[in-house]
Amino acid sequence: MQSPQSNRPRQSRLQTAAAFLMRGLRAVFRVVRWLYQKIVEGLYPVFRFLRRLYHHPAAGVGTSIVLVFVVLAIVGTWLVPFEPTEQILTARRQAPSLTHWFGTDHLGRDVFSRVVVGSRDILLLAGLGTALAVFIGTALGLVTSYIGGWLEEVTFRIFDSLLAMPALLLALLLLGTLGPSRTSVLVVIAISYVPIVARVVRSVVLDTKTKEYIAAARTQGEPAWYIVGRQVLPSVLPALAVEAALRFSYAIFLVASLGFLGVGVQPPSPDWGLMVSEARNFAALTPWALYFPAFAISLLVIAMNLMADGLKRVLQGER
Amino acid sequence: MLIHLRFCRTLGVHIAVAILFVSVGFGVAQDTLRIASDVPVQLDPAFAASDAEIAVLNTIYDYLVDIDSNNNIAPRLATSWEVSDDGLSYTFNLAEGVTFHDGSPLTASDVVWTYDRLRDPALELPTADLYANIASIDALDDTTVSFSLTETNPFFLYDLSDNHAFILKAETADPAADFNGSGPFVVSDYSPENRMSLTANESYFIEGKPGVDALEFIFFSDQAASVDALRGGQVDIVLNMPLALYETLDVIPGVTAVSVPSNGFDLVRLRADRAPGNDPRVIEAFKLAVDREAIFELVKNGIGALGQDSPIGPLYDSYYAAELTPTPRDPARARELLAEAGYADGLELTLHTPDSGDRPDLAVVLQQQLEEAGFVIDISVEPESVYYGENGWLEVDLGITGWGSRPLPQFYLDVMVICGARWNEAKYCNEDVDALASTAGTTLDEAARIDAYQQIQAILLESAPFVIPYFFAETAAHAENVVGFDLQAFVGRTDFAAISLQ
Repeated sequence: MQSPQSNRPRQSRLQTAAAFLMRGLRAVFRVVRWLYQKIVEGLYPVFRFLRRLYHHPAAGVGTSIVLVFVVLAIVGTWLVPFEPTEQILTARRQAPSLTHWFGTDHLGRDVFSRVVVGSRDILLLAGLGTALAVFIGTALGLVTSYIGGWLEEVTFRIFDSLLAMPALLLALLLLGTLGPSRTSVLVVIAISYVPIVARVVRSVVLDTKTKEYIAAARTQGEPAWYIVGRQVLPSVLPALAVEAALRFSYAIFLVASLGFLGVGVQPPSPDWGLMVSEARNFAALTPWALYFPAFAISLLVIAMNLMADGLKRVLQGER
Repeated sequence: MLIHLRFCRTLGVHIAVAILFVSVGFGVAQDTLRIASDVPVQLDPAFAASDAEIAVLNTIYDYLVDIDSNNNIAPRLATSWEVSDDGLSYTFNLAEGVTFHDGSPLTASDVVWTYDRLRDPALELPTADLYANIASIDALDDTTVSFSLTETNPFFLYDLSDNHAFILKAETADPAADFNGSGPFVVSDYSPENRMSLTANESYFIEGKPGVDALEFIFFSDQAASVDALRGGQVDIVLNMPLALYETLDVIPGVTAVSVPSNGFDLVRLRADRAPGNDPRVIEAFKLAVDREAIFELVKNGIGALGQDSPIGPLYDSYYAAELTPTPRDPARARELLAEAGYADGLELTLHTPDSGDRPDLAVVLQQQLEEAGFVIDISVEPESVYYGENGWLEVDLGITGWGSRPLPQFYLDVMVICGARWNEAKYCNEDVDALASTAGTTLDEAARIDAYQQIQAILLESAPFVIPYFFAETAAHAENVVGFDLQAFVGRTDFAAISLQ
């Protein structure tokens, strides 16, 4: 029988090793925890914002759908089972199945792949167009309405005359002169929505201009660009965010409408509006080729609107 | 008592209204034939070209001679004719007692005036080339007219029955708007964007025609909408449908879908008078890139006939070179040829197409096939008014053009194949083809003509800068109570005066 002492050195070696390992693990754990805390702290405003957005179920659903579409737009090209423009001669006019989830159209193209890849086109076009409109509209609105006078008058009378025309009519007119292409669609969205954005900005600027802190900044002799950029612009931002989201949803609709009318994105692009238009004559033969892109348009527009509603609620609450 | 009275009065009103509705309903259903068509744009017979335009004009005016469903010349205003032994003089006897809608008689001088207008070089009408062979036209008496030719023309009767050759009253001030014809129907109301209403010509010179009291062309710019109108009973006949709608109609009760094979085709062509189309290697690559059978299957679902790059189709029987076959598709060889021609990185071209018929689909299928063979294709889908407007279609480097059905192949050769022809959109020039076309168009020896046509087809398949993937079938649909509807290969030449309603 061995004495307890004789075992001690071995035990203590094991213990040392274990303790060393534990220390290492603890250190790693501390680093991870520290990192995690930092990330959480960094993301906290985002989480808080999302939590408040998701507080209202409708806005939450809308935001989730929009996020799903955004993810699809980014990774969709690698996700889809078929090339969106590939014509499979042997698989024309097929009903939805395990191979072709949304069926195939009259030229043997996989509708699921087209709808998924089409989300990239429509989000990119509508998104870039809206961004362009918001950027130009904000700049023009801020500067002209801060300066005021005849410059403001002239600018906004021109915008009024543009606004008097229905957006689609204006778009058709512009595309008639520019010729149909992706760039033209971008330009059309920008021109159609710049006046609307500028008007929203102007209403806030006119309100802000009379505030005492602006008068104070002026008497302090701050330069105009500083006042506009640092003191007026922040007060415009919440209204601008809501407006941008709303414009985005209208832009999606506009892109789809132009595609449907055949003056926007040209075939064989998997543009949703174009797909609806192409499938229209085949409604009785391949209804799936019509309904899935149509459903995608509605879903995205509705989701965008719900999100914009939620955004408005949250931003107004924060103000 | 009071209640009783009121009840009686109400009942009376109801009965009156019911009678009114029933009578109006019967009235409309019984005697007006309603046809859904495209919007006619040009109603001067000299310029009218589309099915809708010719269809409308063919109910207002008459031709001197007509062409029947079997492609034979049939009498219309001319009841009989003689041809001189040398083939240079044609004498026509006109029907007796024919009057224009304004009551004035139609005489030989009106026929002379009409053809003189169509062939007047100063007016630069599209028919000037067609009738360049006429030396003189004379009215021998009120009902006899004679044509003298400078050289023999085996197709002269068909030329006289050209789509444009509606007989107008001499000195008509505005042929695009006067509508003073001798035809089976009289224009009663015309709103250019909307509809044209016509009533039967009570004194029409052909017995038993027209078969209905009134005719209405209702203009639709959207073919799906016109089919819905047929389904809903708002129209009785729909003309010119895309194939998808035609196939759909087969399954709808109460509607009869009809189709007729035609000589019409879609032409895909490069421009041969400038780069890149002026390089024979590019043309060969273009022809090797396309799979005509796949196109026919995908775009037309196999309805119609396969083409082989010549406008002379299988319906022309002995003229058609059935034994010819295109070189099988070879995208790899096409790529090599393009590389040799200096387009190793891909030849970039914009494919222009009108938005009518199944042509946008054709463009999409072509794009895929051409891109597999080293072309880089952008598609531009344009409304017909843009594509054909201001002759843009004659300018573009790569385009798709729809050609309607004609009774004889000589028409296509004369207007779009021979060097310098008015509508030679490919700017194709081949001396052998020109010589053969000239022989075919003048010789009275049928065997020589057959030989010339067959040789032309071989040359076109070999070297012409265009691809004709298929000949299409023309389609229409009508309600069950329509009787006597005989759709023609050129849809506009369908005889609507022969139709009655049951």
